[in-house]
Amino acid sequence: MFKLLRLSAFALGAVYLAACGSSSQTGTTSASTSPGTLSVTPPFRIASLNAATFQGELAGTATGAQLLEIAGKPACGVDFYYIRFWTVGGAGETTESSGALMVPTGAAPACSGPRPIVEYAHGTNPNKALNIADITNASNTEGVLIAAMFAAQGYIVVAPNYAGYDISTLGYHPFLNAAQQSGEMMDILTAARTALPTTLAAATSDNGQLFITGYSEGGHVAMATLRAMQAAGKTVTAAAPMSGPYALEAFGDTIFYGGVDIGSTEFAPLLVNSYQHAYGNVDSTANPVFSPTYAGVETLLPSDTPIDTIFEEGLLPETALFDSATPVVPGEAELTALLAVPPTPALPLSAETPIFQLGFGNPYLINNAYRVSYAVDALTDPDGALTTPTPTPGVPLAAVKPTQGLRQDFYLNDMRSGWYPKVPTLLCGGDKDPTVFFSVNTVTMVTYWSALPAGAVTMLDVNGTPGGPFEALQAAFQESEAAELAYLQTAAGGGLTLAAAEAQVIEGYHTAVAPFCAAGARAFFAQF
Amino acid sequence: MRKTTFGALTLAAVFASTYAASASADDFLANDVRLGSYTVLYHANANNLYGPYVPDGVNFTAENLETLYGAYVRWFTPNIDTELALGYPPLAKIKGSGPQTLGSVPYDGQVISSARWISPTLLLEYNFFSPNSPFRPYIGAGVNYTTFYDRNSTAAGDAASGGPTKISLTASVSAAFTAGLTYRLSDRWHLHGSFGFSQVKTHLTTNTDGIVRTSNVSFAPTPIIISIGYSFGH
Repeated sequence: MFKLLRLSAFALGAVYLAACGSSSQTGTTSASTSPGTLSVTPPFRIASLNAATFQGELAGTATGAQLLEIAGKPACGVDFYYIRFWTVGGAGETTESSGALMVPTGAAPACSGPRPIVEYAHGTNPNKALNIADITNASNTEGVLIAAMFAAQGYIVVAPNYAGYDISTLGYHPFLNAAQQSGEMMDILTAARTALPTTLAAATSDNGQLFITGYSEGGHVAMATLRAMQAAGKTVTAAAPMSGPYALEAFGDTIFYGGVDIGSTEFAPLLVNSYQHAYGNVDSTANPVFSPTYAGVETLLPSDTPIDTIFEEGLLPETALFDSATPVVPGEAELTALLAVPPTPALPLSAETPIFQLGFGNPYLINNAYRVSYAVDALTDPDGALTTPTPTPGVPLAAVKPTQGLRQDFYLNDMRSGWYPKVPTLLCGGDKDPTVFFSVNTVTMVTYWSALPAGAVTMLDVNGTPGGPFEALQAAFQESEAAELAYLQTAAGGGLTLAAAEAQVIEGYHTAVAPFCAAGARAFFAQF
Repeated sequence: MRKTTFGALTLAAVFASTYAASASADDFLANDVRLGSYTVLYHANANNLYGPYVPDGVNFTAENLETLYGAYVRWFTPNIDTELALGYPPLAKIKGSGPQTLGSVPYDGQVISSARWISPTLLLEYNFFSPNSPFRPYIGAGVNYTTFYDRNSTAAGDAASGGPTKISLTASVSAAFTAGLTYRLSDRWHLHGSFGFSQVKTHLTTNTDGIVRTSNVSFAPTPIIISIGYSFGH
């Protein structure tokens, strides 16, 4: 009997030991942290939607239904993979970042086999938890947009969340840092190409074509990525930066002169934190950027607290970037006048009008002394796009490197850096954009590259007079805006006055342009 | 948990040897082996799966199953015995329960994973009536130890989870109870029927490419055992 019991115990022990070693496999974690390394192989699939389900989900919401009209019905299903990869932070830190790999699926020929890649850079987002791969999150509207516009039409989509977001432990976001963000774009692309054959949708592969695009902040990232990939000798098929702050020096000067854009109070903390980490020359105790009311605001964004709550709690002013008591610089009448609140415009409203005045208030975000230090530099060493009465031919950067820290950083990250796109490039935007000014950024870049052969760089203003290859798109955008304006004046839309309705349409303009420009980018890419 | 297993078994051995030494050896055959069928009704109850990218209401169920039963019984007195019961490790199939699909991936009713478990139960039993009675009811109480192995996510499970998935289930120690009836065929052969009850609680963890989800699962396996026994030795 004892023998039997011992045997049982032994048998049980053996079984249990075997149990310790037996289990199914899951993803393996890479030991390497070199840039472009995929952290976890294979990548996790957050969701898998077939074309019909995706269409149904889109049709279920008002914005989804509108997107469906612009993007068209999904031709393919989409698998949403979550990519974790290694990259480099704004100050050279080795850091892990994350993003999306969206893979078209389905039986249609355009949905599997060798397919082109669209690499997309997202716009400024105050939400630290942003995960553009997470299609199950209703707030991930940009993820839905690129899935519907590109992935569901047969493009493999690669999109980073950016360092500073999601799982990132970097502690800040390298906002508008061209070197970091283009590096991260190249790193996620490498990681995504490693990941693609290991996914559950392995029937879809990379055909070698690469299209680069992005919106707003991501427009700048996309352009910087094209520049970096060209410099590295990497293949890019075509690019379509959209509504981006490309001419950062000219844009910065415009804002500091009083042309305050919508969203500036969100952009300022992101920018100061980013450049302070990368270059250390923006903020100092001798000349602090931010007013004492908002001390420490530079580390506020991106945040886990919703941006509306941040505004409600007074942690950040909603629009008052500058002090409404504008600085008076003794003996500097021109400068003093430049820094005054812009005059009230007459109706009809345009982008550059009531918005600018909203940029002034009390409490305000940026100190007058800091504003003056910037403006003095801008006035003495003007940006070529802003010289008066006419721009300097070729709209170059400031003649000499600026001396003021922030302006130096704008100069460094401005896309007018002596290069040009070697592949077909579309610059899309809307000319009334109150967030990223079209004329200062898109028109400046197109002017900068005006000596290139015709067709090298194409400009698309969705608000322009409809004509040419994008005629239908322009008409559709303008109809959509007119319909929105009319709706807001009806009882159902809130019964707003014309002026109030116009103000609201302008406020939503930057976001409203996005799907139309994305559709323009897709049509542009389809030619290659 | 290994320590617990061996602890329980060592205790049983000491306990058994003490009684064996003190019992009147001539009165009865001190050892039984039993073999039969083991039907497990799970009555499983799991919390909804919790973790990233899991929609509400994602749950799972276990299918009832039958397997082989084997036991060794050591009699201490004509009325008191201890039973070490083991089932041949059954392959339990776990089915998805909840949404019809996750995204477009079928879920409800799909076999998403399987696991084998071994569940030795050590029982101290009291048998009514005398050893010569044709029918002897008995009741018992003891301890059940359940551990899981061969835990595999199926292809359907991997698709629903989002990739190759590793499953772990913690081992469980719980009280076990039984009630049964012995029918005497001869001095050495007898038939048994019994009904048992225990409460197994396990913590489920799945890891899909670094994404971890969890659930607490409790099930009250009620084994229904029909077996034939053979007595021997002193």
